[in-house]
Amino acid sequence: MEESEDVPKDFVKLKCEKLSVDEVSELVVSPYCGAVSLFIGTTRNNFEGKKVIHLEYEAYTSMAETEIKKICRNVRQKWPSVKHIAVHHRLGLNFKRRKNGRKKAYVCVVPITEASVIIAVSSPHRTESLEAVMYCINTLKASVPIWKKEIYEDEYSWKENKECFWANSEN
Amino acid sequence: TVTLCGTTVSVLYFARSAELAGLRCETLSVPREITSLQLWEEIVKVHPRLAVIRDQVIFAVRQEYVHLGDQLLVLQPGDEVAIIPPISGG
Repeated sequence: MEESEDVPKDFVKLKCEKLSVDEVSELVVSPYCGAVSLFIGTTRNNFEGKKVIHLEYEAYTSMAETEIKKICRNVRQKWPSVKHIAVHHRLGLNFKRRKNGRKKAYVCVVPITEASVIIAVSSPHRTESLEAVMYCINTLKASVPIWKKEIYEDEYSWKENKECFWANSEN
Repeated sequence: TVTLCGTTVSVLYFARSAELAGLRCETLSVPREITSLQLWEEIVKVHPRLAVIRDQVIFAVRQEYVHLGDQLLVLQPGDEVAIIPPISGG
C-alpha cells in the first residue's frame, strides 16, 4: 500500500460562525504524528466586576491571514518536525454584498464562553507540538490585527493585549 | 492640473480609530515620499479626533507594520495604509 507523503499544511481560517474543536483537530491529525496539541481561547463573562453581555470582533482580514501564515512559517523554522498547523479565529466585521451591489457591514457577535480561537499542531513527538502551540498563541496576541470589543450593560471597551508589540502595557 | 509629487492612497481605519474618524476607509492624497509621522499628521488634519490615540497606534503600509516616526515611506498609487490600534486577538 502506497502511503501519501502527508505534506505539511497550514490551515488558517477567520470565520464568523462558531468554531469547532473537532474540525480543527481533524485537520492536523496525521499517521506520521503521535501528538496533536491544542489551544482553545475562550471568552470570560466578566471584567473588573462588570458583566460582559457579548463580544464583537473586528479584523484587518487580509493582513490577519498573512500574519498568521508568517507565524506558521516561523513555527516550521523553530520546530522542523511539526507536521500540520491549524489556526481558526472568530472573525468580526463581515461584509456582504446586497442585491443593489453595495456592501453592508455585519458585526459578528460572539456569546460568552464560546471559543474565540482554536490552534492545533501535530508532530511526531509531543514536545514540539506543545511548544509550537504556545508560540502560536503568544505571537498571535502580539502581532495579528484582530480586535475584540467587550459589551457591558452600560458601556463597552476595546480590549488591548499586553503582548501587543507596539503599545506599552502601562495603561 | 497634475500633482507631480503626490499620490492617492487608501486609508483603512479599525476599531477605536474607526470610531474616532467616523469611517472605515477613504482615499487620501499625500506626498509620494513622506515619513510615517508626517503621514500620521496628514491624517490627523482630516480627522483631528484621532490625535488622542497617537501614542497607541502603529501603521500597516502594504500590510507591513510601520511605527510612527522618521521612517521614510515611498507610496504608490492605491497603496493600502491602515491605522492599527492596540490589538486584542486570541
